[in-house]
Amino acid sequence: MSTKSPTEADILRPVNNVSKQYFILFGLCTLAFGAFLVGWMYQLAEGMAVTGLSDWGSGGGVTWGLYIGAFIWWVGIAHGGIILSAAVRLLGMDRYMPVARLAELLTIAGLSAAGFYILVHMGRPDRMVTSVLGHYHITVNNSPLVWDVTVITAYFVLTATYLALTLRYDITRLRDDLPGYFSPVYDVLTLGYTEDEDEVVERMVWWLALAIIIMAPLLLHGGVIPWLFAVLPGMPAWFSAVQGPQFLTIALTSAISGVIIVAYAFRRAYDWDHIMTDDVFRGLLLWLGFFCLLFLWLQLQQNVVGLFAAPVSTAVAQEATITHPIYITAMVLVFATLVYIFAQTIRPSLFTKGRALVASFAVLFATLIEKLIFVVEGFLHPEFEIYAATPGAYFPSAIELLSLLGTIGMVTLIFLVVSKVVPVVELHAVEHLRGDHGHGHEETDETATEPEVKA
Amino acid sequence: MSTDDESFHPLGQEWETELEGMLDETEYDSDLGMQMAQDAMRVTKGELSEAEFHEKYHDDVMDEFGVDDRPTEAAYDQAQEESSGAMGRMLSAFDGDGEESRRDVMKKMGVGAAAVGLGAWGTVDDSQPSLGISQEGDNDEGDGDFQWGMAIDLERCDGCLSCVEACAEENNLDQGVNWMYVLEYDEPRAGTPETSRNRLVRPCQHCTDAPCEKVCPTTARHTRDSDGLVLTDYDVCIGCRYCQVACPYGVNYFQWDEPDITTDEIAEQADDMGMDGDHMVDERERWVDSRAPRGTMSKCTMCPTRQDGLSGDDRVGTTACQEACPPDAINFGNMHDETSDPQVYASNPSRGRTLSLLSVGEEFAESLEEDLDGEDDDLESVLEATDLDEDTLGLLLATEITAESEMGAGDGTIADYEQDVMSTLEVLSDHGLDLESEEVLSELGLADAPDPEEDGLGDEDENGDDEEEENGDDENGDDEEEAETDSFIQDDEDEEEDDEDDEEEDEDEFDGPDVEAAQNLLEAFAGVPSSNFRLLEDMGTNPNVIYLGNEPGPNAEQREPTGTGVDYENISYQRADGERVELVDNRKDVLDEKTVGDTGLNLGGW
Repeated sequence: MSTKSPTEADILRPVNNVSKQYFILFGLCTLAFGAFLVGWMYQLAEGMAVTGLSDWGSGGGVTWGLYIGAFIWWVGIAHGGIILSAAVRLLGMDRYMPVARLAELLTIAGLSAAGFYILVHMGRPDRMVTSVLGHYHITVNNSPLVWDVTVITAYFVLTATYLALTLRYDITRLRDDLPGYFSPVYDVLTLGYTEDEDEVVERMVWWLALAIIIMAPLLLHGGVIPWLFAVLPGMPAWFSAVQGPQFLTIALTSAISGVIIVAYAFRRAYDWDHIMTDDVFRGLLLWLGFFCLLFLWLQLQQNVVGLFAAPVSTAVAQEATITHPIYITAMVLVFATLVYIFAQTIRPSLFTKGRALVASFAVLFATLIEKLIFVVEGFLHPEFEIYAATPGAYFPSAIELLSLLGTIGMVTLIFLVVSKVVPVVELHAVEHLRGDHGHGHEETDETATEPEVKA
Repeated sequence: MSTDDESFHPLGQEWETELEGMLDETEYDSDLGMQMAQDAMRVTKGELSEAEFHEKYHDDVMDEFGVDDRPTEAAYDQAQEESSGAMGRMLSAFDGDGEESRRDVMKKMGVGAAAVGLGAWGTVDDSQPSLGISQEGDNDEGDGDFQWGMAIDLERCDGCLSCVEACAEENNLDQGVNWMYVLEYDEPRAGTPETSRNRLVRPCQHCTDAPCEKVCPTTARHTRDSDGLVLTDYDVCIGCRYCQVACPYGVNYFQWDEPDITTDEIAEQADDMGMDGDHMVDERERWVDSRAPRGTMSKCTMCPTRQDGLSGDDRVGTTACQEACPPDAINFGNMHDETSDPQVYASNPSRGRTLSLLSVGEEFAESLEEDLDGEDDDLESVLEATDLDEDTLGLLLATEITAESEMGAGDGTIADYEQDVMSTLEVLSDHGLDLESEEVLSELGLADAPDPEEDGLGDEDENGDDEEEENGDDENGDDEEEAETDSFIQDDEDEEEDDEDDEEEDEDEFDGPDVEAAQNLLEAFAGVPSSNFRLLEDMGTNPNVIYLGNEPGPNAEQREPTGTGVDYENISYQRADGERVELVDNRKDVLDEKTVGDTGLNLGGW
């Protein structure tokens, strides 16, 4: 555990330095994102026949596939930002302050990827504005997809506002050390700043955080996104009241995992051991464990209800799900992660940041394939499951698979770019760490995290 | 002729009631005159075309005056020519189209045209709903009184895929885009005979509470106010495919790539066929018909171009699949009208089947008249002189006896059959055969046998009566029947109970035909469907397709190969570019060709 004191120079390091690794990573991400853009252009030119999708029914395929699965996954990851920010701002969990802004950026980047997937998924993305906005006043009354667009947009706007407001404080104070070529950006971001506003902004941010923390779990991943599926009686694999809570737990596990990975990367790249301490990772890991537990518990609910004495169609769908290798893999990964996390709380020596990273990747992978199979399974076993001679067949095409690489590249690029423009660790966090708040002591860990979990 | 015709006129009963006290009831010509005058007014308002007007009354005027020289003749002839030329291209689709086409063609174009097997272009009565529709469509605020829908008799489906083919051809669909789909399934449910041909005919259900419409983020998927059709506005759809996800029936087909047939080709084809529009834009100027453009959703439309009268008024109330169905398994019409084909058929499927199976054509009545010329008017002589046998005559009478609404009052195929049955029976009555008499009815198994003593007087005595007297009797008989048509049903049960007692006491009074016996006759002949259901009714979608027979259970599974009576790949259809392509039962086979990096892996198979 580092004992050196965090400084402004620490958090300015990403902005003012570039390395070979940075350029390599930047190049790789550009390549991935660019390759998918080319794939998407090809899809636009040729039509969506380039995907592995088809019509369910006599079309022998599935209508929604990886694009929608990945869309849900990214929205889930985007939750990380708000969970952390909320923990810091609303619940006073200051220990996570150093990773709060990274988490907020993850929200922005994750939502961007999700929004991009909506476009990629459309047959006529050019009509998004005219067709959707043009009839919004009618469709918002009944279409879950419009609810979705509404809530995601609101979430994005709120988070962006939140981020913009908190950046003003930092940029104003660090302006002299920030690169001059971005001056116009800083000018815009700090337009009309006065020190008097700090207090006001603080309060605004608190209310924003409150609004988002209510909206995100209750309306977004515990609401409109699962409702896309849960409200459709024609698809017994989806039609269930447990989808809301289930989606939320899946989202939260992937969100925490995302934050762990991003934090780990920045800590390693910029020697931020003394800022993003092991303590932060331990805390995050515990949260991850808690959400994994909820995740598995809700899966259990659905399986028991779906397998015990369910209506024929539900039983068929659930049986197909629980015996599917992808579903089993996902559950095993999450369960293994849960076991590890609980084990390391009992025996702290089992904790390493590397293992935390592995656990995070495992959960992210598990949630991705779980979402994929969730979407696909609905079409494979509909209520009207008579089309046995034209059964649903699907495997993502090369372009669809490329979209995963592309959006991961895109999200990484957002981090790479933003970290060159603004500090990705709050000045508040440095100030806070420099104060006499003792952190990084093993003994305090468990006692500190337990109440948080309950909260 | 006059009075006999009156009761059999398609609108006679209704108008008689409405105009009671205004008209001399016994004078047919005043009735016809009133009606023609009304419709003539509509012609002047532009609600009814000259051709339609001419066609509508052509038969009646011919009957009444023996010649039809009305000034509308030219328009009528022109319309006839147009429809025959325009449809020539699609003739092959309707080869062997069965009685319906022959009947109608005979009616309208004579034997020469029949030889080329022209499809079943509606009839005189088909023009009626078009007026209603176009009027409602104009202001686009339906009162909910109109809802196109179908009654599909699954036990009559022989799996020939004519409907699938006709639909693909009509709409220029890509291969595998089977808006209409027929599948054969195995039913693991105990007690189901293994040999039974379980077939499901699956068009869009045009649900009253369509989930696809509800979830659409753009209102592209909508219900047309005027007639309840659930359609996709191809100009608005963003291709999110949520409608397909929400539909419990799997009737949607996304246009994953550029469609094979261009809009220019479709428009040109529509032009060649003499359509008023381009077969894509409906009466509200929204692009909802024919195959979808790339990136939008499509499904069975129930042919809005036809319903809007843009394919000619005689095709209003028809769909491509319904026209093409040889056994009349598909009955299309207004679900809110109890005299419509689907409602008449579904309310008594055995009767509907009988009408279809007998397929009495109008020409039959004519030939009957010739056959009967100079023959005696007792049952035996009549049967001997004509192609009719006792069974057939019994069935014809049974369809009349069991009619729940006025025979021929509707405007579809079934109504046409009813009309022709009535014409046939009328010829027999005119000839002197008393179809209301106890003797004849009992002979045909439609009434209890009369007492032997009375019977002794027998046929001969009555036969001895001269023609005029017979006609006189007949007239009375008809009037009675009119009065009793409704009471047949209501009195059904009473009649049974009373029968025995009454006969003893009141030997002279004959209660009329036995409705139950008539129904039994129909059921024995055509069978009774094992069920009457709507698909997935518990989904709350309120589908507008009624199915008769073959209700698939929850474990029913489509059988391999998908082709039912015939394999999909053995059927080809011609599209606007003139080329013929085969039907494809599984669209994935077609789409996989364009998939980039198709690994052959399948998550569904793991």
